[in-house]
Amino acid sequence: MNEPILELRGVNKSFGPVHVLHDVDLTVRPGEVTALVGDNGAGKSTLVKAIAGIHGTDSGEVLFNGKPVHIHNPREAAALGIEVVYQDLALADNLDIVQNMFLGRERVKNGLLDEASMELDARKTLASLSVRTVKSVRTPVSSLSGGQRQTVAIAKAVLWNSKVVLLDEPTAALGVAQTRQVLDLVRRLAEQGLGVVLISHNMNDVFEVADRIAVLYLGRLAADVATKDVTNNQVVELITAGRSGELGLARPEVAAV
Amino acid sequence: MTTTSTSGTRPDDVRRHNRAALLRRLHVDGPSTRASLATALGLNRSTIKALVDGLAEDGVVEERVPAQRSGAGRPSLLVLPQPQAAVVLAIDIRVERAAMALVGIGGQILGRDSWRVRGGHGEPTEVFTKIMDYVGPLVAEQEVGPVAIGVSVPGVVRHSDGYVHEAPNLHWTDVPLGGWLSHALKLPVHMGNDAELGALAEHLRGAARRHDDVVYISADVGVGGGVISNGLSMRGAGGHHIGEVGHMVVKPGGRPCYCGSRGCWETEIGERALCRALGIDEDSPVGAIVAELRALGEAGDEALARLDEFVEWLALGLGNVVNLLCPQLVVLGDLFSALPAPVVGKVEQIVRERSLVSRALGGTRVCTSALGTDAKLLGAAELAFETVLSDW
Repeated sequence: MNEPILELRGVNKSFGPVHVLHDVDLTVRPGEVTALVGDNGAGKSTLVKAIAGIHGTDSGEVLFNGKPVHIHNPREAAALGIEVVYQDLALADNLDIVQNMFLGRERVKNGLLDEASMELDARKTLASLSVRTVKSVRTPVSSLSGGQRQTVAIAKAVLWNSKVVLLDEPTAALGVAQTRQVLDLVRRLAEQGLGVVLISHNMNDVFEVADRIAVLYLGRLAADVATKDVTNNQVVELITAGRSGELGLARPEVAAV
Repeated sequence: MTTTSTSGTRPDDVRRHNRAALLRRLHVDGPSTRASLATALGLNRSTIKALVDGLAEDGVVEERVPAQRSGAGRPSLLVLPQPQAAVVLAIDIRVERAAMALVGIGGQILGRDSWRVRGGHGEPTEVFTKIMDYVGPLVAEQEVGPVAIGVSVPGVVRHSDGYVHEAPNLHWTDVPLGGWLSHALKLPVHMGNDAELGALAEHLRGAARRHDDVVYISADVGVGGGVISNGLSMRGAGGHHIGEVGHMVVKPGGRPCYCGSRGCWETEIGERALCRALGIDEDSPVGAIVAELRALGEAGDEALARLDEFVEWLALGLGNVVNLLCPQLVVLGDLFSALPAPVVGKVEQIVRERSLVSRALGGTRVCTSALGTDAKLLGAAELAFETVLSDW
């Protein structure tokens, strides 16, 4: 097995009296797509936000490239090489593609924005992913389709040379063709050696792209299994009951309390 | 494009031939000025004008005043091929995944899709059904229908009708995939071996541009080879591709190969062998291997020593290949394109030291693919374009 790029050990998180994450262990390996699945409220988004530095954790350890790290805000996550793509609020509508890709990390030359070099790199990045569906990198994001927007958001990860990309339901609001487009891109990101975490509710999507499936059940990690070792039904059971045959939590009914 | 008919040639045929030649040129070399087209094709300016006007009328090309002027006088108009004017569907079937793309004139990928072929045991019907499922949305999104289909399969394929004799890593035998596709999609289907098409793509668009004698070696799960000789894909008896180099026996009594033999080159340099050399799980996904190779490349020469035995086997087989086929250039594709540069340099050096053919050529160059995992997909598109452009 190759070494994990990102590893969570015993992460706990409470919002006041509600214990959202219970001793969660999660491993992300380079070049693999790990699907993070679970019912609504299982803690998927909270977990991603904890990794991204939006929420702090109460206890537990986060290791990046084998070294313990403390991520306090999204900027620190980005500096480590962790990029997050959200379902909808990924981009600023009023800005164009280049401005979005460099948002908050603009390049400056002689006190002015270095538009030329930013535009060139944005174009190179999109070309390297052979994304030629957008006519110009100066197109305002508001005029792009949902699939194109997600493509731009994902391309950011490549531009910034990220090591880990977390995608929080990137296809939830997309049509069939655009969903396919995004899944294709996710698969190719992993083939380039990035560690990818994909949150999805669609079992077909999960089985098509994921190498591993991590199931959260009421804030606990019920299972972390190789996709080829499980069936669709087993995963659905893990999601709904926290247990399927030999897999899953020992006594889910206790875990539920 | 060359005809060997015994009757005379009528002006119509000449025009058709010239138009195909011009279109092919634009397709392969991209936008060119009328003047450079005239020079390249050896035709006079008025002929070029007539041909370009005809193509512009069909919407296949567009003309524009070039942004950068060169030399004195009125600038020659730039002729730009319009990708949407003729689109083909390229399909790349692999052991672990399949990919599909709509490719326009000039080799531009307009839209693409891919999916996992489960566990490496993709039943032919399952792969076919998925193609049929996903081609609809892909075409609808681009709002342009393909005029031909090109398919790459990792196995032995009959060119005339796309009959897959044997694709061992897929566990396919006797699959009339070409027939299914042409029947279902009502389009001409052209199929070829994956490495043969990878070679074609690298020759036209990748690392082997402007090289006429090239060998392309790629590792997906198995190892395949494709040969470009004198600028053309080299074919053997029955029109079958040449270059199943992965099954040269290099180690008598070595590891058993799925092809039924033992000690094939593939068992020492294929995906599994590479995983063993890297010390990772043999079933690791492609991305994990790529990440490991990159980490190794960054770690420096000492870490690269882990690959020494692998390099030795790679160079040994390549030496044989170079001696046999005498290429100017060897392109290492697919998984091999992630090999760190020092490793590739070392392989090149060993081959030069041991192969008399390489020495005679002043050293056969070894480089990694410029198209990476898209090579076979683009090659399939080029195969489909061959007839589309010549019949234009």
